[in-house]
Amino acid sequence: MRIQTVWIAFAIPVVFLAVPRLVLAADTPAAVQPIAPKAPASSTQTKPKMPPMAPSVTVMDAAGASGILGRAVKGADGKNMGRIVDVIVDTSGKVRAAVIDFGGFLGVGSRKIAVDWNALHFSGAVKRGDDVRLELTRDQIKAAPEYKEGKPLVVIGASGDLRSLGISTPAPAK
Amino acid sequence: MIYLHESQNAPPKYPAQPPAVEPGGPNGSEPLSEPAIGPSQASARGLDWFVFFLADVQTGFGPFVAVYLTTQKWTQVEIGLVLSVSGLVALLGQMPGGAIVDWARSERMVATVAVALIGVSAAAYAAWPIFPAILLAAILHAGSSCVLGPAIAAISLGLVGRAGIGHRLGRNARFASLGSGIAAAAMGTVGYLWSSRAVFLVTVVLALPTLLALWHIRAAEIDPEYAHGSLHAKSRPPRSSSLAMLARNRPLLLFSSVLLLFHLANAAMLPLVGSFMTAKSSTWAPALIGACMVVPQIVVAAISPWVGTRSHIWGRRPLLLIGIAALVLRGLLFAFVHDPRLLVAVQIFDGVAASIFSVLVPLIVADVTFGTGHFNLAQGIVGTAVGIGASVSTVLAGYLTDQFGRSTAFTSLAFIAILALAVVWFAMPETRPPEAEVHEI
Repeated sequence: MRIQTVWIAFAIPVVFLAVPRLVLAADTPAAVQPIAPKAPASSTQTKPKMPPMAPSVTVMDAAGASGILGRAVKGADGKNMGRIVDVIVDTSGKVRAAVIDFGGFLGVGSRKIAVDWNALHFSGAVKRGDDVRLELTRDQIKAAPEYKEGKPLVVIGASGDLRSLGISTPAPAK
Repeated sequence: MIYLHESQNAPPKYPAQPPAVEPGGPNGSEPLSEPAIGPSQASARGLDWFVFFLADVQTGFGPFVAVYLTTQKWTQVEIGLVLSVSGLVALLGQMPGGAIVDWARSERMVATVAVALIGVSAAAYAAWPIFPAILLAAILHAGSSCVLGPAIAAISLGLVGRAGIGHRLGRNARFASLGSGIAAAAMGTVGYLWSSRAVFLVTVVLALPTLLALWHIRAAEIDPEYAHGSLHAKSRPPRSSSLAMLARNRPLLLFSSVLLLFHLANAAMLPLVGSFMTAKSSTWAPALIGACMVVPQIVVAAISPWVGTRSHIWGRRPLLLIGIAALVLRGLLFAFVHDPRLLVAVQIFDGVAASIFSVLVPLIVADVTFGTGHFNLAQGIVGTAVGIGASVSTVLAGYLTDQFGRSTAFTSLAFIAILALAVVWFAMPETRPPEAEVHEI
């Protein structure tokens, strides 16, 4: 899928941006550069309307940032909690929660549970093979209702417990 | 790692032995002119280990696939798509798969190709976890599996004939369950110690002993007429349109509906109970779910040969009733028992039902299609019914659990099983052939 996604990511800007550019080429300031349509897709992306806007480029050390989909999560007690399978954002784009595929054996009986983004710590996760840490234990999240798309989201945070939601759970182990 | 030990020992064992006729075989003393009735020990053992290793290989493609693809940064949408497509292929491929086995003159050849394709598909899982490759591999695997189910039953029937088939199917069930039990334990360990990807490498490697065992079954001993459920050539009935003929076969249709109901009730039970255990007992859940998977395997391995023998003595109907009753009980117990350790014990009933059905499904299909030459196509029809029941089951159970809770979900599943029981009780005839018919050939 990743390879396909990359193709599509390039193909869409090329098709949709290159065609109007050729039509507009006669009267826009950008037309002073006749070689522009041959420019790589990534550069055409930023200038259909506002001519001089340099894209910002941030270079991050590979040891300082990393993707987290599929990463293992360890609990507060160091026990394995499952893997991150999705990330939840709200309308403002702020990351609110991570969905963890929790428990089970060889894929049988696992439950998807949403945990508060702030309860996750990624300091160790950037290193390859290391884990994301969650400020919760298995006992605290086991009774949480399952995450289902389109249903109200129950997010488990580091403080407080599930009793306020009418879900019985033992007090945190500490 | 028993299988490694065995696979190393197996090759030298066979060439060293003369083609001895199995001493305990039903017609062991017959001359070699009727090779299909008394298979050599090499063939019998070959089939044992073929079934064993094939179960190993298939375990690698179980629910574990979703876990593996998650570790490869796949999204849930992509995983769901691949699983649905392969489920659909597995369902729609049942009848063509059976028809291919009926059409082929060498079941062994068909099985060889199918196992090789499954090996290739496991290699693709390990090597290229990208969408197009995995989708293709999943389709390849599902399609090959559609052929292998009927092929095993056909080889068995072709080897031992009708008189010994109950015993043989019991033995198949034992080796299959030993295979998948040991594979689940070994793959769980591999996945835990190394990586999820390593599980698929193990699967690729296991395809080799599977083929080796398959080739120890002597092709000459598989009687093609028996394997297709026909009578011998001289008395073969005229071949009318095959599907139309099977569609008028009332016992076959009744049995298909029983299987549909059975799997509608059965398939969702383990995932549902696993999910309940995860919610209930977090620390022990993985071990308890593992136990829930292993307990039935042990039971199947222990009692299947006995079930095979009983099917000749008692007939099919009493066993069928026991098997479905075990499912009813299991559903009710899951609904009302809360202690996770007791729930593991309830899985004994799963073993009883699984053992009875893995022996009786090919057996009853062989009974009701005897003389038609469409044994394998009929297996495909029955397999389609199983597939529909099983795939609707998880959706139905998930919906019931969300809306009404666990107890209602399990009680409803138990009620569906009672419907299956009623169909057998009131409509399903005994299909065991009269003694004379078995031996007349």
